[in-house]
Amino acid sequence: MSPRLQFAGISKLFPAVRALDDVSFSVGAGEIHGLLGENGAGKSTLLRILSGVYRPTAGSVLIDGQPVTLNNPVAARAAGVAMIHQELQQVPRLSVAQNMFLGHPLTRGGIFVARGEQERRAAEALAALDPSIDPAAPLGSLKVAQRQIVEIARALLDRARIVAMDEPTSSLTPSEFERLAEVIVGLARDGVAVVYVSHKLDEVFGICKRATIMRDGGVVDSVDLAQVSEKSVVAMMVGRELAQEQHRSHATGDVRLSVRGLASATKVHDVSLNLNRGEVLGIAGLVGSGRTELLRLLAGTDRASSGTIEIDGKAVRFSGPRDAIAAGIGLVPEERKREGIVPLRSITSNMALASMGVFAPRGVIDHRRLKRVAAEKMKRVNLRPFLLDRPIRLFSGGNQQKAIIGRWLAAGTRILLFDEPTRGIDVGAKAEIYHLIEELAAEGHSVVVVSSELPEVIRLADRVLVMRDGTVAAELDRASLSEQAIAAHAIPQTQMQVGKTGPQARQ
Amino acid sequence: MTDISENTATRPKADFLHRFSMRDAGTLIGLIVILAVFGALVPGFFAERNLINILQQSSINACLALGMTLVIISGGIDLSVGPTAALSAVISASMLVAGVPFPLAIVSSFAVGLACGLLNGVLVAHVGLQPFIVTLGTLSTYRALALIYTGGNPVLGLPAGFRSIFNGSLFGLPLAVVIVAVVALVAWIILKKTPFGEYLLAVGGNEEAAYIAGVPIARTKIAAYMISGLLAALAAQILIGRLGAAEPILGNLWELDAIAAAAIGGASLMGGKGSVVGTILGAVILGAMRNGLTLMNVQSFYQLLATGLIILAAMLIDRVTRGRG
Repeated sequence: MSPRLQFAGISKLFPAVRALDDVSFSVGAGEIHGLLGENGAGKSTLLRILSGVYRPTAGSVLIDGQPVTLNNPVAARAAGVAMIHQELQQVPRLSVAQNMFLGHPLTRGGIFVARGEQERRAAEALAALDPSIDPAAPLGSLKVAQRQIVEIARALLDRARIVAMDEPTSSLTPSEFERLAEVIVGLARDGVAVVYVSHKLDEVFGICKRATIMRDGGVVDSVDLAQVSEKSVVAMMVGRELAQEQHRSHATGDVRLSVRGLASATKVHDVSLNLNRGEVLGIAGLVGSGRTELLRLLAGTDRASSGTIEIDGKAVRFSGPRDAIAAGIGLVPEERKREGIVPLRSITSNMALASMGVFAPRGVIDHRRLKRVAAEKMKRVNLRPFLLDRPIRLFSGGNQQKAIIGRWLAAGTRILLFDEPTRGIDVGAKAEIYHLIEELAAEGHSVVVVSSELPEVIRLADRVLVMRDGTVAAELDRASLSEQAIAAHAIPQTQMQVGKTGPQARQ
Repeated sequence: MTDISENTATRPKADFLHRFSMRDAGTLIGLIVILAVFGALVPGFFAERNLINILQQSSINACLALGMTLVIISGGIDLSVGPTAALSAVISASMLVAGVPFPLAIVSSFAVGLACGLLNGVLVAHVGLQPFIVTLGTLSTYRALALIYTGGNPVLGLPAGFRSIFNGSLFGLPLAVVIVAVVALVAWIILKKTPFGEYLLAVGGNEEAAYIAGVPIARTKIAAYMISGLLAALAAQILIGRLGAAEPILGNLWELDAIAAAAIGGASLMGGKGSVVGTILGAVILGAMRNGLTLMNVQSFYQLLATGLIILAAMLIDRVTRGRG
């Protein structure tokens, strides 16, 4: 029998770039197939070809053995392909049902939208997945995990034979992932071929039997995941072995930042912490536990409702980020595109944004000095390619992150706050960012790292605070640090039980 | 390659060429094409007098468009420039007629322009209203104030001394042209060489990121609207100096020409992008086209059509040359 989905010798040329080079692999009906590779490896281009956004320069896509022409997204959908994007393509103000029928609404007489019928059918499709979702509710009122499920329900409505998922879990909590995993396994049981793209190897190993690893536009190998280790998969993705790094502490005894009873109007209650010179403090906890909000209070972007902050023993008060920056604090935010970079501006301009005053002592920018400092700082963070005048949007996520770190180095920041420092960053660049954070600590910077990836927290932190419900639930030093210990403190008792049912259902 | 700072520091010429962006080069080519077409069609189009005429006729729009460019770069829009000009014109004109010294009247007109811009800026930056709606509201408000203040009548009989200030010439160029050239130079320096310029580009390019990086968002936006108001007042002084009278309906639809010049010059209404050189070229393109069509005795209906097509053509070329995204 021919496989449900087959890529046969797909190549895609863009002007001056060969994005895909002779990509061939196949996915059987009922198979969940992982697609792995670093950013720029060609995964997204391949998915775009599958969903009809791009046309291949050479090669063809076969569904059930038949070559199909996917000239546009409508044709792809008609051929039974459903795409679930990383950044959900939905309209928050419309209802769940309206979103599920977006672009091809059910009508009465071809004129009026049959809302009732749409909602009835949406409810049918949702019943198997998550009956708690109300088809008439505005989509914006749902959690991200539920919105993912709505997308999957939409694929069911379209009677999709192939579902491609691009990083579906990038912002889900572990228990939400369990739920989604059940849904995906259910899809496969019904004979759907699932192509599953994720940076999180443990997830891929958890739910996929086979995976295809891509690098530089080509297929490295299609492997049976039971036969290979995570380490060898990473080596195939990166093209070399990544050394396993050991944690090194550079913490001193001098308290640099001291926070007492800090609270915001909503998400943070009574947080106290100390941060020493040269220390890397990890903050773990579930999404929504108040980690990001705590960082925003410390960075002055949100106002604290009560509590005190002292830096080097002096009380400070922030009425905006400018005050925090002046006190030596800088935030490297989670959503780089939205909160970090000014996309059209150069690396140099992005770097200088927080310290313009320094470069313009008499009102006019000293461009020579600016360029010298930019060259120095970007060399320090190992920007690649080393093109300081190039708009930052043309750089990879990892290099954008390096430029933002360089921004705070240029501003003389002594306390760096990282929110999910390696989200959306390649395995290779990830290691570089870890190194950089360690070196900054060694130079005497104080660092706070908020992360959902427990291995990352354990790799970096000298000490970890676990947050739950807006406050510090536990403090773990290196000796007592483990993924289990963090999870035990991070997850409220009620959720623990939900989490336990997950793995069984997956088998 | 590895040491960029040294390369550029030792080669100022390359640096200058680098600054003159591809987009500005495109606008310049557009201007050259339009000049060539009219030069071929209209005898005497390239006469020195006519070229100076074009510059003079473009100067008021260029003045407004420079302020507009800064506002657009900040991610906003200023629809109220025409009425701001009218209000500052009638107030200073009535002071002049009442015998107030010229400098005081001119400074008062600037103060009115700054105040109009301040109100726009505060409503946008501190109250958080949308720039389009705010300045649509003040467009009517400022116009109404000018009409109420004058009872709808023009302020006539401006002193000859005042008129001679703005009708003089320097280095063989009308003073209005020289003034706007100086304003353009200042605007260029602001955008390229000052923190405020970087802040404008950052606020318009990504306000949230700029905020986290410590950029003073509100101050930056308000300053942009105040500069726009000030330049509207300056444009009004140039105009009433030329006409010898100030009408409360002066400056009708000025905002559209100013936006057009900025857009032709490469400013993006999404914010974060725009060029002083481009805007000046855009204003001259519009001025040259009107001048040429008038000399060809083309009906004003067709002049309007030509203006519309030029704007659309500029945007299309922009789109095609830049590609998707």
